[in-house]
This record gives sequence, structure tokens and C-alpha cells, in this order.
Amino acid sequence: MTPLAGYLTISVALFCIGLYGLVQRRSLIAMLIALELMLAAASLNVVALTTLAAGTPAGVVPRQIGAGHASSVGQVVALILIGVAAAEAAIALSLFVAIQRYASTINVEDLSELKG
Amino acid sequence: MTGPTLAALLAQAAPLAAWVVVLLGLRGRARAAAAVAIAGLAISFAASVWLVVAVAIPDRSLLAQTVFLPVDASHALAFGVLLDPLSTVMALVVATITLAVMVYSTGYMRGDPGFARYYGFLALFGWAMQGLVLSANLLQTLVFWELVGLASFLLIGFWFDRPAPAAAARKAFLMTRVGDVGFLLGVLLLIRALGLATIPDVVAAAGAGGGLSPRLVTVTAALLLMGVIGKSAQGPLFTWLPDAMEGPTPVSALLHSATMVAAGVYLVARLHPFFLAAPAVMHALLYLALATALATATMAMVASDIKRVLAYSTISQLGYMLMGLAAGSTAAGFFHLTTHAGFKALLFLSAGIFIHHAHSNEMREINARGALAQRAGAIGLVAGSAALAGIIPFSGYFSKEAILGAVGVAAGRWVVALAYLGAGLTAYYAFRMVFLTLVPTNGGTEARRHGGTDAPAHGGTEAQTHGGGERAMNWTVQVLAALTLVLGYLGPWFGARLSPGEPAHGPFAIGLGAVAALALVAAGIGLAWHEFGRPGAARIGFAERIPALAGFFGDNWYLDRLYRATVIRWATALSRAAHWNDERVVNGATDGLANGTVGGGRLLALVQNGYVQAYLAVVVTLIAVLAAVLSRFGGVR
Repeated sequence: MTPLAGYLTISVALFCIGLYGLVQRRSLIAMLIALELMLAAASLNVVALTTLAAGTPAGVVPRQIGAGHASSVGQVVALILIGVAAAEAAIALSLFVAIQRYASTINVEDLSELKG
Repeated sequence: MTGPTLAALLAQAAPLAAWVVVLLGLRGRARAAAAVAIAGLAISFAASVWLVVAVAIPDRSLLAQTVFLPVDASHALAFGVLLDPLSTVMALVVATITLAVMVYSTGYMRGDPGFARYYGFLALFGWAMQGLVLSANLLQTLVFWELVGLASFLLIGFWFDRPAPAAAARKAFLMTRVGDVGFLLGVLLLIRALGLATIPDVVAAAGAGGGLSPRLVTVTAALLLMGVIGKSAQGPLFTWLPDAMEGPTPVSALLHSATMVAAGVYLVARLHPFFLAAPAVMHALLYLALATALATATMAMVASDIKRVLAYSTISQLGYMLMGLAAGSTAAGFFHLTTHAGFKALLFLSAGIFIHHAHSNEMREINARGALAQRAGAIGLVAGSAALAGIIPFSGYFSKEAILGAVGVAAGRWVVALAYLGAGLTAYYAFRMVFLTLVPTNGGTEARRHGGTDAPAHGGTEAQTHGGGERAMNWTVQVLAALTLVLGYLGPWFGARLSPGEPAHGPFAIGLGAVAALALVAAGIGLAWHEFGRPGAARIGFAERIPALAGFFGDNWYLDRLYRATVIRWATALSRAAHWNDERVVNGATDGLANGTVGGGRLLALVQNGYVQAYLAVVVTLIAVLAAVLSRFGGVR
């Protein structure tokens, strides 16, 4: 098993755990945490796969500046994703507060007003 | 536009304006409504007089029309006015009688809660009838024909809160509609064949060398005649007219004797050359009119309600008019129409005076309440009956002579004999009515016993809310009574204008026919005197002595029963079936569709359970399935 496969396996595991949590947990906050896991899996995927494009196996620090610039692109994207995740968490948590004030709960089973 | 055209338009516009004003603005103001309606008809009357002076007396013929509906590239339906002696004289008759009835009604209808509405409807009728008389196009005629039918419906059912007038109005409307279907088909057939329906063109097309085949003329004439039979209460479709007497008496005088029911006769006179081009139809009409005239004369012999006697005599006289026309003489038929309008309106209005005072339509009841005290009514009843019976020198004598003369020329011996017999019967029932109503009985107790049984029920129908107003009524009746002595001398004048080819008779040209008619009339009056008039008479007619005959004559020859047992029952069954079809099949289909839609929606709504995680699960599952499918069959390798 190449190192890349290990990264990808972990990524898939993270994604599945996140998906399971998202579907399984009834609290909005727990669902948000699960969502963050899925996002982390995606970030990990990006970082791992960009090393493939640069020809440098992941985990090996490039010797020369510029030789592995593709892998650094992946790392930049990962950083941006972390920023996006933080912003998303801020918006989601403020929405949860609003929902809590409106419906006195953040349990999604009780938030089913759109039932047909 | 020339002067006569303007006058013709004015004659129609004035009653129309009066109707609109009364119904829109004056519903609650009785005196103002009557004033407006009478003013409208006075204008119409003045215009009609001027039309007669300008058109009928110089014997001119004018056609003014405007293209209204194009049929195809070369033809169009043109609406307008057709002015000739026939239409202008008819317009004058209509305006005169309508005006007289309106003046009379100021007394008769005084205090009625619907007074303003009544005058509005009368003005509507005035407009529709003038439009019918003066119209230049058969389609236009049909429109006004239906409008007078509407006015008739509204006026018969004027006291619509009582069941009998409401039912009578419905019956009249539906029964005339049966005939009008034929009229409509006939007009459509003409428009299809000719591309137009202008009356002079239609008449010209039916003649020799015209555009219509004899067969088409026969079919069209028969169809148009259906409308005539319905409107003029002939043949099998007459039973609506006796029931129409549930309306106010002045309405009976105006619509159901003098003018509206004469519209059918007028139509035949208007299209007379057209009808004469279909000799088979005219032959049938002759027999039909003769049968109607005789049958309804027998019904008039046993009726005890004065208005029903007059209604039957109206049908009978309309039959005589149509006989004159069917025998080929326009002048005779139309002459009788004119004189009949005068004396029958007079008879109804005189009867109205009695009804107004006695609060009953029953002749014996009227007698018991002292009919002779109503001087004007008594004079009017006697003068009108003399004209109806055909006593020289009252107007009816001359016109009936003209008709019998025309029938004598054109028809076989038996038809002529029966027509003369009808004249004798007319004299009998007319004077039966006079004697029953006017000759005082000994103390009146016997009469009270006779009339008292059903009088209260009947007496409640009319005039109970009314009182007073005698002056207008008496005055109108006296004018009309004077007219019966004048109108008879117009015969040669009509003859010269309407049937120029026929030999002219002087008004007093007494031949064998006239002597025979007068003898029969005298016999009829003598019989009536023997049974009803002389002191100590039993006051029961020969027909009333035989119960079977009295029942047969008194119940419209059982025609209504026949209709109830056949046509009405079938029509009711058909409409029940249609109702069932509507209720079950049509409604069921739409209901099923709606219920199915709603149920389907309910089922689909179960999917929308409101749980965001369920949606999420579906989304993920579907993406997974999609991915699997695409990786197996699609472009993803």
C-alpha cells in the first residue's frame, strides 16, 4: 500500500464517519461537527492528491523551492477550506441560536414544520 | 334619412327610452313612471299617425336599411325599417291600443305595489311590438318576436307571487317557444338559401323566376307557420292563451287579444305572396284555422269566467283572420285584424271595469254585484259584442263579411258552410256573455248560488288592492266603443292598398252571403236570448246541460290533459334522465377526477415528512446509486 492510498483510506473513513454522524445524530450541533469531519476528509483528499500531481510523494518535503509548487497549491486550498469551514461554523451556530430562540429546541426531529 | 324613416325610428325609440327610464330610475315613483311611459307612447302614437299620413294614405312603399352583418362577399344582413300601408297601419293600431291601455291602467292598476314596474313592462312591449311591425328583415322580426314574447311572459306573470299567474306565464313562454323553433329554422333556411332575409327580397325570391325552388318555399313556409301558430294561439298550441288571462285585464286587452297574438297574423300578411307561393301550406292553414275557430267557439260557449270567454273568442277570431289570409286575401285578413284589435280591446277593458267593481271574473258573480250600474262598461260590452258577433253596422260585420267572401271564393262548399256556422256560434257565445253579465236576475239569489261557490277563490286573483280611478277607465272604453262604429268603413281603403287585384265591394254590398251570415247571427242571438236573456230563462246553455259535453268544451277539449299525458310526460322523463346523467355521469366523472387528484396528492405528501435527515439520506443514497451506475455503464472509468 502506497502512502497515498493510506491518506485516501483515512479520508474515506473520515468522510463515512462524518456522513454517518450527519444522518444519525439528532442534535444540530452534533450534525455540524459531523459535517466538519466530512469537510476535513475533503481537505485531506485535496492535499494528498496534489502531491501526486507534483510527482512528490506525500510526506516528503520538497528540496527545492518551486519544485513541488503543485503540492503547495493543495496546501493553500486546504488552508482556504479551513477558513471557509470556520466561517460556515460561525453562520451555522448563529442560525442554531436563532432556531433555539424560535422553537426552543435544536433537535431536528422536532423541526419538521415543512411536513406535507 | 328621410322624414318617414325618422318617424319610424322615433316610434320605436320613444317607448324604449321610456322603458329604460322607468326601470332604471323610477321604480319607486308610480305617478312619474306612468307619466313617462304614457309620454313615450304618445310620441310613438304621433309618429305612427304621421307615418300613416305620409306613407299609407298616398300608398307608398319605402325601405331604409343599414348593412349590419355580412354573410359572404356579395350578401349581407341589413337591418332597417320597411314602410308601406300594411306596416304603418299596424304600427298605428299598436300605438293606439297601447296608449289606450296605458291610460286605462292609471285607473285599473291604481294602488298596486308594482305600478311602476307594470308601466315599464308596457313600454317594453310597446317598443318590441313597434320594432316587430316596422322591421325590414326577418331576422330582425325574429328578435322583436322573442322580445314581445318576453314582455308577454313578464306581464302574464306580473303577480308572480301567486302560483297561478307564475305557472301561466311559464306555460305561455314555453308553448310559444315550441313554435318559435320552427320560425328560427325557417329564417335560417332562408338566409342559407338567399344570403339575406330582407322581406321584399324574400317575397320576390319566392315568386316565379325567383331564386327559390318550390320545395324550399313550401318547407320554409311550413316552418315559419309554426311560429305563427304558436304566437297566434292556433291549432294544437292554443291552450296557453286562456291561461294567460291570469295577467291583469288591461294586459289581456293589449297583448293577448289586440296586438301581440295578432303578430302571427301580421307576419303571414307581411309575407303573404311568399306564403301564397306554397299553396299546400296555405291549404293546410285554412283547415287548421277553421278547426281552431270552431273548436274554440265551442269552448267559449261553456266558459263561466268572462275573461276566458274573451280569450277563446280571440283564438277563434285569429282563426278567421288566418282563414282570410289562407284564402288569398291580404286585405280581408288584415282588415279583420284591425277591427278585431279595436273591439276586442274594448271588450276586455269593459270586462275590466266589471272585474274592478265586482272583484271577480265570474260572469254570474259580476251580475249579482250589479253590473248595470257600470254604465260605460255596459255600453262597451254591448258595442264590443255586437262587433264581435258581426251585427251591421258595427266594425266586425264588415271585416267578417270580407273574410267569408274571400273564403267563399277560394274554398270548397263545406269549408264555407262551417265558416258561416262559426259566425253563428260567435254570435251565440258573445250574447250569452252579454245576457249573463248584464241582464238582472230575479233578486239575484240564484246567480249568487251559482257564482258563489268558486268566486272567492277566483275573486282574490284580481283587483282586490285596487279601487277608484273610474274616470280614465270609462273614458278609454267610450273612445274605443265609438271606434267600433267607425273602423268598419275602412274596408275598401284596405282593399285598394293591400289587395289591389281583387274586386272591390262596397261596405253595404249585401249579397246572398251577407244575408245568410246575418240570419245565422240572428239565430245565435235568438238562442242566447231564449236561454239566458228572456225573463224567467234557466240561464243554462244547451251545451252546459250535457255534462260530458260541458266537461269536454270546458277543459280545452282535453288537449291539456293529452299534453300532460304525452308530451309533457315524455319531456319530463327526458329531463329526469338528463338530470340523472348530469348528477351521476358528468358530476361523477369530475368528482372522481378531483378525488383522485386529492388522494394522489395525499399519498405523495407522505414523502415530504419534514425530517431533514431523511432527505439527506435519500440524497446520499441517490448519489451513491448514480455513482455506481455511472461507473458501471457511463463514462467514468
